Amino acid sequence: MANRTDPLAKSIRGTNPQNLIEKIVRSKIYQNTYWKEQCFGLTAETLVDKAMELDHIGGTFGGNRKPTPFLCLVLKMLQIQPEKDIVVEFIKNEDYKYVRVLGAFYLRLTGIDMDVYRYLEPLYNDYRKVRQKLTGGNFALTHVDEIIDELLTKDYSCDIAMPRIKKRWTLESAGALDLRKSALEDDFEEEEEKEENEQLDDGLEDGAPEKDYYRGRSPTRERDRDRDRDRRRDSHRHRDRDYDRDYDRDYDRERGRGRERDRDRDRDRDRDRDRERDRDRDRDRDRDRDRDRDRDRYRVRDERDYGRERDHEREGRERDRRDRDRGRRRSQSRSRSRSRDRKDRDGGEHRKRHARGSTSPKRRGHEDGREEPKKKKEKKEKKDDGTDHPDPEIAEANRLRASLGLKPLKL
Amino acid sequence: MIEVVLNDRLGKKVRVKCNEDDTIGDLKKLVAAQTGTRADKIRIQKWYNIYKDHITLKDYEVHDGMGLELYYN
Repeated sequence: MANRTDPLAKSIRGTNPQNLIEKIVRSKIYQNTYWKEQCFGLTAETLVDKAMELDHIGGTFGGNRKPTPFLCLVLKMLQIQPEKDIVVEFIKNEDYKYVRVLGAFYLRLTGIDMDVYRYLEPLYNDYRKVRQKLTGGNFALTHVDEIIDELLTKDYSCDIAMPRIKKRWTLESAGALDLRKSALEDDFEEEEEKEENEQLDDGLEDGAPEKDYYRGRSPTRERDRDRDRDRRRDSHRHRDRDYDRDYDRDYDRERGRGRERDRDRDRDRDRDRDRERDRDRDRDRDRDRDRDRDRDRYRVRDERDYGRERDHEREGRERDRRDRDRGRRRSQSRSRSRSRDRKDRDGGEHRKRHARGSTSPKRRGHEDGREEPKKKKEKKEKKDDGTDHPDPEIAEANRLRASLGLKPLKL
Repeated sequence: MIEVVLNDRLGKKVRVKCNEDDTIGDLKKLVAAQTGTRADKIRIQKWYNIYKDHITLKDYEVHDGMGLELYYN
């Protein structure tokens, strides 16, 4: 009797609201002492008192999965189904952060998409600390805005599977929501201007309009702002802009994420790698293999000296593994230079398509010496992973382990 | 490399290849990949001993071919 949902309650997503929590977790809550003692006969008002006494959030913990009081209160709210105003009151209150989180959680479970975004996004500005109980039984530190971010982006939290809601940009494009305005927008604007001034001498880009940059900037968990910004910008450019420019350039820009913003080497590498990969797919496989072999980071200095271009090492390494036994002579490189000299880019492409490279004996000999240590290095890499074991079952198992982040099987 | 059999007595019987120095948590991940449940929903027991996530199979003296009980949280 005590576990029955209020008969006047509406059904959520077509079913009893309590079914939002899985059967096993629900049974654990029903058997819990906190539920039996404290949550018996709670109404909306007395629930608030209980919520004010909360001091941590969490799902289930321990070997036999004991639920936290937070989880018990969530189930109680699902059982009595308070009015939307009450839930909004929970969220709006400033004094008790755990009441706020409880209200936000309940709204995420039961609210419609519009309400979820409308009421939860202001909570991004709340950066108070929150204690979270992990599955091991120990506590971890987190913040209110981190929790809200989890609720909005992940689909599993506190041992409850979150119902699916529409993505923000779907609602934006339907006109139901406004573009998101971050509280930190002004700070970003300053940073953005600073970077634009720095990069004026590159003189490549048409200078993306600021408007694109700000659109749909939902916060992310990453601390690397640049990467964030780049991703958002490019994804929006992909969606919104007209590609009436040179097709090649746009294709490359899409693939090379955020090339004009991030000046880091890594970014160059990524861009090069992506462009490499795409271009390579189009070209003749054989020629690619020849070109990509034996490109080593040791050779950066040499190549720069000789003004050569170089392929990305990882690409080369992968292809080398395949071709190692063929003993084919490495042909001249036609790949993109790693240097930061952007003017080379378009010229480089041209060079790439037609260049045959130098055949001076001096260079060949010099590069031969580099092949040996590189080959040995690649042989070792081949063994480490274990995914190329002759027995297909073991290779498969090793592949799975590698994807989970475990070491390969010891045979 | 040892092979462990996990049985949930409801129709799911899973053979998993793993190392002796893998932890129970790693084993749960492998089982989750094979059965399709989430790793944190799985509980591995032997009679009433619930196996803890951070202890290795070697320490629990799980040998090759041994059967463990599979339960759900």
